[in-house]
Amino acid sequence: MDGPIRKLLVYVDGSEGSFDAVRLAVVLARTFGAGLRALAVVDTRALGELVQARIFLEAEREEYRRDLEGDVGRYLRRAVELGRRKGVEVETKSAQGSVSAEIKACVLECGIDLLVVGEMAQVRSRRDELYDEVDRAMRTVPCSVFVAKNGDRIEEIYDQLD
Amino acid sequence: MALVERIEERIVKVPLESATRDGVIDELVGVLAAAGLIADREAARAAVMEREAKGSTGLAEGIAVPHGKTPAVKDLAIAIGVSREGVDFGAMDGLPSRLFFLIMAPPDKAGPHIEALAEIARMARSKAFCRALVGAGDAREVVELLRGD
Repeated sequence: MDGPIRKLLVYVDGSEGSFDAVRLAVVLARTFGAGLRALAVVDTRALGELVQARIFLEAEREEYRRDLEGDVGRYLRRAVELGRRKGVEVETKSAQGSVSAEIKACVLECGIDLLVVGEMAQVRSRRDELYDEVDRAMRTVPCSVFVAKNGDRIEEIYDQLD
Repeated sequence: MALVERIEERIVKVPLESATRDGVIDELVGVLAAAGLIADREAARAAVMEREAKGSTGLAEGIAVPHGKTPAVKDLAIAIGVSREGVDFGAMDGLPSRLFFLIMAPPDKAGPHIEALAEIARMARSKAFCRALVGAGDAREVVELLRGD
């Protein structure tokens, strides 16, 4: 744990891009001898927006919050398994709130040196660019950010790791 | 992101032919079935109707967002429809609905479902943009507007 990068954080949202990020983070953690933490967030801010917009009923907010908690647990278990296969311990953290704020808070609380995130979608509207929470996190975290691209290549690198 | 990357002409219908709430839902479910995105059309329709029975998804300003969770879809499925005449969807402002976003997701994909609905909620705040979508001449124009906004 005395290399140039000591603490890695990978953000997992269930997309394949985010699991590419986990694979890459596992490779980086092994290479640098760094600690690896995976974060998943129940986006309660979005749920609030939907109730406010009256797209969701109040009862639906609770129902979907429980669904999202289940999703987050699954995502983190998969991240732990991807680490375990390569002998890397993945600590997990789940949070509730705004995705960008929770990523930033985790970076600060845990003294993260490098944040790893999945590739952004290539088809995006200007509104998406304005509201994308991972994009916002990348711009506001006080550490360096690594964007995992080319899932096939990342899988090869991950598979080659003994 | 969840919304725009899934928008393509085959899941957009302009104009809708139905003049009733149930008819619009059935028509949009049919759009998804024709696109091969629904395994069980009747189960999908039932999920949306069940949610609608709990309270209308007709918002203000002519927008309606019928949605539901169902194992009848494997992934998030979205269909968009525009009605020229407007349909009584029980909207909160009592006005007819003209722009419809049908969203269905499997029970274990709550994240993309929420993300897509949140994008529509943000979009609905722009009256000018919604007016442009309602005024679109065909499916291609709807796709271009959504991708370019």
